[in-house]
Amino acid sequence: MKETLKITGMTCAACSARIEKVVAKMEGVEEISVNLATEKAVVAYDPVRTTLDQIKERIEKAGYGAAEIQKKAAVVDEDKLRKEKEIKTLWIKFWVSTVFAVPLLYFAMGSMIWWLRFPIPFVFNPMQFPLNYAILQIVLTIPIVAAGYRFYTVGYKAILNRSPNMDSLIAMGTTAAIIYSLYSVYEIMQGNFGAVEGLYFETAGVIITLILLGKSLEAVSKGRTSEAIKKLMGLAPKTATVIKDDKEYEVPIEDVEIGHIILVKPGEKIPVDGVVTEGNTSVDESMLTGESIPVEKRAGDSVYAASINKNGLIRFEAKKVGGDTALAQIIKLVEEAQGSKAPIAQMADVVSGYFVPIVFVIAVLAFLAWFISGESLVFSLTIFIAILVIACPCALGLATPTAIMVGTGKGAEYGILIKGGEALETTHKINTIVFDKTGTITEGKPEVTDIITADGIQRTELLQLAASAEKGSEHPLGEAIVNKAEAEGLEFLKVSEFAAIPGHGIEVVIAEKKLLLGNRKLMKERSIDLTGLEQESDRLAGEGKTPMYIAADGRISGIIAVADVVKASSQKAIDKLKSMGLEVAMITGDNRKTAEAIAKQVGIDRVLAEVLPQDKSNEVKKLQSEGKQVAMVGDGINDAPALAQADIGIAIGSGTDVAMESADIVLMKSDLMDVPAAIQLSKSTIRNIKQNLFWAFGYNVIGIPIAAGVLHLFGGPLLNPIFAAAAMSLSSVSVLTNALRLKRFKPFR
Amino acid sequence: MKKKIIIAALAMALLPLLAACADTDVVGSESVNSFKEVLTAMDQNVSEDEMNGGWALVSPDGTERFIWSRDYSSGNPHDVMLEFDAKPFLDAGLDPSKLAPGILAEDKIMVGSDLGDEELSYKGDATPLASYEKLVELYRDRIKYHADLDHYGVNVGDGNMFEWAKDMSTNDKDIVFVVDPAQLIDAGVDPEKVEGWVFAKVKVMDENGKPIEVDKFLKPFSIQ
Repeated sequence: MKETLKITGMTCAACSARIEKVVAKMEGVEEISVNLATEKAVVAYDPVRTTLDQIKERIEKAGYGAAEIQKKAAVVDEDKLRKEKEIKTLWIKFWVSTVFAVPLLYFAMGSMIWWLRFPIPFVFNPMQFPLNYAILQIVLTIPIVAAGYRFYTVGYKAILNRSPNMDSLIAMGTTAAIIYSLYSVYEIMQGNFGAVEGLYFETAGVIITLILLGKSLEAVSKGRTSEAIKKLMGLAPKTATVIKDDKEYEVPIEDVEIGHIILVKPGEKIPVDGVVTEGNTSVDESMLTGESIPVEKRAGDSVYAASINKNGLIRFEAKKVGGDTALAQIIKLVEEAQGSKAPIAQMADVVSGYFVPIVFVIAVLAFLAWFISGESLVFSLTIFIAILVIACPCALGLATPTAIMVGTGKGAEYGILIKGGEALETTHKINTIVFDKTGTITEGKPEVTDIITADGIQRTELLQLAASAEKGSEHPLGEAIVNKAEAEGLEFLKVSEFAAIPGHGIEVVIAEKKLLLGNRKLMKERSIDLTGLEQESDRLAGEGKTPMYIAADGRISGIIAVADVVKASSQKAIDKLKSMGLEVAMITGDNRKTAEAIAKQVGIDRVLAEVLPQDKSNEVKKLQSEGKQVAMVGDGINDAPALAQADIGIAIGSGTDVAMESADIVLMKSDLMDVPAAIQLSKSTIRNIKQNLFWAFGYNVIGIPIAAGVLHLFGGPLLNPIFAAAAMSLSSVSVLTNALRLKRFKPFR
Repeated sequence: MKKKIIIAALAMALLPLLAACADTDVVGSESVNSFKEVLTAMDQNVSEDEMNGGWALVSPDGTERFIWSRDYSSGNPHDVMLEFDAKPFLDAGLDPSKLAPGILAEDKIMVGSDLGDEELSYKGDATPLASYEKLVELYRDRIKYHADLDHYGVNVGDGNMFEWAKDMSTNDKDIVFVVDPAQLIDAGVDPEKVEGWVFAKVKVMDENGKPIEVDKFLKPFSIQ
């Protein structure tokens, strides 16, 4: 069983690593993944051996909060309100601490920054009234510590649980500063006025204030990273108009049940998934598919939640409600992707897990080393505090999940659903891409491509006759001709006689004309002279098209060619992929001639033709055995085995469950340009993650030695813990800001 | 959040309360204790000074005096002052005509300040220590703590000080007469030629709190 829990109280990667560690040890827990950025844990467990309550209890025992996520739509608002409240509280805490930290810093540093000529009241002059000066600082520090009390409760609890985290570092650093300052106050009271220089209340106060600022900015940025999911959630309407006994009732969306008949007026959003029972309209499904052109709907057609009814009044029967709608499935998919971890993130998590204890050891060793070497207690303590404060690994913990959240969210905005961090990471490594032909490179439904006339007949007349003859035919080729005539607004003529010739065509009588429609074999059997059209027929066949001959009263009238046409974007997408250095191949069950004709049209050199659906995965395997990283692009149903076999399976579909389940990436639109866009997005995201990791690691690699006083050894400056706190907060904010740059991502078009 | 607001409000309320509390003036109160030790150690050198209406602490060589008033309403020109022999300075080139009036009287140089005109009342007898306590109580800004030397001091005005060790047992300069050399140098004194006084740089804070080094004439004594 797989459940998602909302986790509270995490502050850095060490927290998420700790939760993973304690829960993974539980009997019956198969897998757990905790995401710091989304504050969610996805846990797979055996319900026979353990329960969700036991897992929650274990998490709470480790010092964090855990709650189940309800699947109702109302949770969206609750979550939003909770986040907003959290951000508001953090800002209040920050401002409260700022109100006290500014005068604290003023009094503490003002006397030292003499060139700024800060006036200090005589009664607080540190040399003349050191105790007043110290008490003033204590009084100003108390509210700041109260505002940052969480660092102490969480930090020390984590130490007691033998899993120190970022809060532990902050708590230990500031506590050391406060305790030493209180000792200095005691010394002042004993008449040792020189101890006034050992007051570090402002260090503790300013560190807490800066960390609160960093946390507030982090919370705001985190909110922005999940904007994509919020946008998706915000699409769902809150109410639906249900028809009961011919009366309209407006009911909350949660109360809509399968089988309810729902009325949707023009301009309204469709509340749940269903099938139209009455009325015609066009529906804007762009929020689901990214396709901006409205789709015509009539009785029998499916409609989807959150799409917008443009111009007609329709009634439809609810088929999927709540968490089963296509929108809910997309949200679930995006949420899971955002909550999942890329392999690169797992490495960062492992490092973070060891990081805090190692930093603590470094801080203690540096403190002892300086103290034993003859430096003062104040000097050694400054080193100790600076190391603890500067080494917080929160930037490290945020580096990958924030980029993945923004990356997958941005993909969702463009109708590119990436199913997880791993998929996102693997996509950028792809060097070979295999396209299924039918439905992927081509539209997947035959269309009339050419109409060639003979014997003086007009093009329109030929199409009208052929379409009238095929009206009612269920053959795909006949259907294509009827669709073409409908599209051109032609009237259908009455058919007086009709006879099907299995495997060859049909024979009909229309307006007293005896018509024969079918393949070349039928024409030859009926001794129809094809002279003059044979060359055209061969050309069409060579282009992968199927020619249908039409003869009227024993004389050939023309050819209507039908083919599965190539999508408008196919060639452009393949050109783009080739320019990106990818090898492009096409796989199909069709005959080689047709396959090669299509491949030639779109510029594909490598063709794997006449491959049965069950053998498609073997072809992918062969490419993989050549050492290639293969992505398979298919429609997600008959290509499922190949999609699964490929390193990355990309399904082109309309968001059906099958497509979503079988692929790593789902392209909601049928636009092949989304394939290079997905690779481009993956590359951008991975580049962003690498930048984030570089800065986060680099910051610690540079920051810790500086804080430990390495520069001081060579006559350089000593890092003030206040600047260490500012730098630490800045590192988290810079990592988040860099991740947010991904929001500017624009795919190839 | 309410709890935190209360804590913050309490902290703010405590601030003036604590600041107003006289017991927090540890420099002032500790200076009284150590001045008492100086007075006890030099009890033979402390006497009433009728002329100046106060008390005088004479240096061990008898050439300098620190004088502090018993009653500021007495009308004397100085309520706190230093008095020292003019001879070393005259020998070093001091031109008496160049000094401001009232500084040189007979063979003595006097520098000091008029603090006010309050009529002081004492709970018990007026003693040298009680008068010093009144000075701390009424003119706290005249009392200094000199961290570099671990000295307390009374600022008698114009950069002139009388300083004494906070802890005589650990300090080799138990009392120090500190004289600002500016007006004496302006009056012709060659600072290097003043016998019995040390002309040295001393670290002090200016009015903006800027640490600066200034020239001073110093005459330190060990009294133990």
